[in-house]
Amino acid sequence: MKSILVSKILFSGRVISQLLIGILVLGIGIIFETNDAEARLYIDITSPSMRRISIAVPDFKCLGHKNEPPELGSKLAGIISNDFDLSGYFRPLDKGSFIEGPGAGITRDSINFKDWSVIGAEFLLKAGYECIGQQLKVEARLFEVFSGNQVYGKRILGLVEQSRYLMHRLANDILFALTGHPGPFLTKIAFVGTSTGQKEIYLADYDGHNLKQTTSHRTITLSPRFSPSGDRMIYTSFRDSGTVLFMHDMIKGGTKKISDREGLNIAAAWRPNGKELALTLTISGNPDIYLIDTTGKIVKRLTKNWGIDVSPTFSPDGEKMAFVSNRSGSPQIYILDLRNERVERLTFEGSYNTSPAWSKLDRIAFAGSSDGRFDIYTISPDGGDLRRITRDQGNNEDPCWSPDGRYLAFSSNRTNGNYHIFISNANGENQRQVTFFARDQLSPSWAQQVK
Amino acid sequence: MKRNLVVATLVVFAFSSIFLLSSCAKKQVITEEKVVEAPAPEVAKEEKAAVPAAKEEKMEEAKIERLKELEEAKKREAAIDEEKAWMERRAAKFEAEALYFDFDKSFIRLEYRPILQEKAAFLKDYPDMRARIEGNCDERGTNEYNLALGDRRGSSAKNFLISLGIAADRIETISYGEERPRGLGRNEASWSQNRRDDFVLVR
Repeated sequence: MKSILVSKILFSGRVISQLLIGILVLGIGIIFETNDAEARLYIDITSPSMRRISIAVPDFKCLGHKNEPPELGSKLAGIISNDFDLSGYFRPLDKGSFIEGPGAGITRDSINFKDWSVIGAEFLLKAGYECIGQQLKVEARLFEVFSGNQVYGKRILGLVEQSRYLMHRLANDILFALTGHPGPFLTKIAFVGTSTGQKEIYLADYDGHNLKQTTSHRTITLSPRFSPSGDRMIYTSFRDSGTVLFMHDMIKGGTKKISDREGLNIAAAWRPNGKELALTLTISGNPDIYLIDTTGKIVKRLTKNWGIDVSPTFSPDGEKMAFVSNRSGSPQIYILDLRNERVERLTFEGSYNTSPAWSKLDRIAFAGSSDGRFDIYTISPDGGDLRRITRDQGNNEDPCWSPDGRYLAFSSNRTNGNYHIFISNANGENQRQVTFFARDQLSPSWAQQVK
Repeated sequence: MKRNLVVATLVVFAFSSIFLLSSCAKKQVITEEKVVEAPAPEVAKEEKAAVPAAKEEKMEEAKIERLKELEEAKKREAAIDEEKAWMERRAAKFEAEALYFDFDKSFIRLEYRPILQEKAAFLKDYPDMRARIEGNCDERGTNEYNLALGDRRGSSAKNFLISLGIAADRIETISYGEERPRGLGRNEASWSQNRRDDFVLVR
C-alpha cells in the first residue's frame, strides 16, 4: 500500500519535474526509503475542526565530523517545527520537556519510544545532518510513537545556504504523506510595508522569513495581487497625476504599466484564467468596476451604479464576482453573476463590510465592522454559514486566502498597535503572527510556489 | 534770421519728438521705470542748452506734464501691487480652507457652501488659474474603498464649482484615500480632520 503511494508520487510528472529541477538547478535530490509501515492518511484535513496532533522534533543529530556548525541541528529542527506549528495540524512539543538521553540515534532500533510516549508525543521526527563542503545532507524519519512504526523516511541533499528551503520541502513532503495534500510551506506572501516611511511592496516566505523589497517607487504603493499561478503580481502605485496599475513579472523581474487612465486605477483582481483583471476606474466620473485584459485594454464594463464599486474578487470558476458597493447606503458586499449580469447583496449584518476574498474552496472572507472595530469573517457565497474568525483582538483587516484555500492571511494590530501579517486555518483556528518588521505590514497576497 | 528761425524750429521739433518717444516708452514700461527714468533729465538738459530762452516756458510745461505722468505711473503700480497682494491673500485663503465631510459620506455639508461660492468667485476673477481638489478620508475602512470615497469627495466639490459656472477643464481631482492623514490619532478628533477636500491652485 505504501509502496503504491510512493511509486505514485515518484512517477507523477509533477514530482519528476520537481526532482529534475531540483537536481539540475538547486542541487536537491530526494531518495525514497522503503519502510514497513502501513500506508494510510493519518490526518483528515477536510474535517471542519481538528484536534492538533502532538509531535516532537528534537534537534537534528550531527552525523558528520564534529567540527560542523553545531547550531545547525537546532536551527533545522526549529524551521520544520515552526512549519508544523503554522500548518495547524500539529502541536510541536516544547523541547524542554524532552527526556531522551544523548545516546539515542535516529533509527527505529536506537529509539526508546517510551521516552516520547511519556511526554505525550504522538509523532516523533528524528533527523540527522551532514555538511559536505557547501552541501547539506539531511536524513529524516517520522515515527508513530505508539506503535514505533516509521511512517516516513527520506534523505535530501541541497546547499547549506538553502537550508530554510530544504526544510520547507521536507515539511511539505511529510504533510503530503500524512494528509494527501501538500502544505503551505513553499508559498510566498506579498504585503505592503511602511518601514521606509513610504508604502512599498515586500515579498517574504509564508513564515515571514527571507524578506525582499519588491518595489522602490518611493511613494504610496498598494494592493498587491498575485496571478493564479504566482508568476505575476499586480499592484497600484501613486504618480503625480493619481493611481496607476502596474504588473510585476515575478520570474524575470520587470514591471510594466497596465492602466494609467485619468482618475482611479485601483484594486485590481485576477480572473482565475490569469488572462483578465477587474479593477475600479473613474473614467465615467464615478468609481465603477471594469474588466480589462493583461495589456490594459477594456473588455467590458461590469458595474454601472451611482455609488462606489470597488474591491472585486472572482469565484473559482471565474463566472461570478464579489465586490464592495455603497449602493444601499453603507459599504456592503455584493455578487455579480457575469453570465446574466444579475447583482445580489451578500452581507446584511454590520454597518461596514469590505475586502472580499473568494477562496479556491468556494468561501468568501471579508472584513466587517459593527462597533467601529474591524474583524475577519467568512461566509458561503449563497449567504449562509457566516463565521466570525477574529474577536476582541484589535483591528483585523485585508483577508486573503492561501492558494489552496486552506489558510487565511490578514493584517492585525493586536500586538503593539502596529499592523502585522497573521495566518490562520480557514476556520480561524491557530492564528499566528508571521511578520515582525518595523511599523506596519498590510494587505497580504498569498502566492503559490512558482513552478 | 529767417533761416535761423527755421533751424531752431526744426531743432525743437526733433527734440520734442525724442521727448515724446521717450515718454511713450515710459508709459509702456511701467515696471522698468528706473531704467527709463535715467535718460529723461539728460534729454531735458540738452533741450535747455539747445533751445533759446523763448522756448523755455514750453519746456517747463512739458516737464511738469512728464512729472505728472511719473506720479500717475507710480500710483498705477501701487494699485497693481495692492491688487496683486489682494489676489495672493485670496489665493492663500482658497488653498487654506478645506471642506470636511461626514464619515463614509461625500456630500457637501450646508455650512461649506459659502466657502465653495467664494472659491468659485475667485476662479472667476482669475481665469488663468486652475485648481486641483484632493479628496481624503479617515483610516477606517479599506484603502481601496477610501480611494474611491476620496474620489467622490473631490468630485462633489468639483461638480459644485461647475454648477457655479467654472469650466470643468479648470478643475482636476485626485484622491489620496486614507494615505495623507492630517491628524494621526485613532480618534474622532483626528478622523474628522482627515475626511476633507484640500484645494491647491495650479498656476
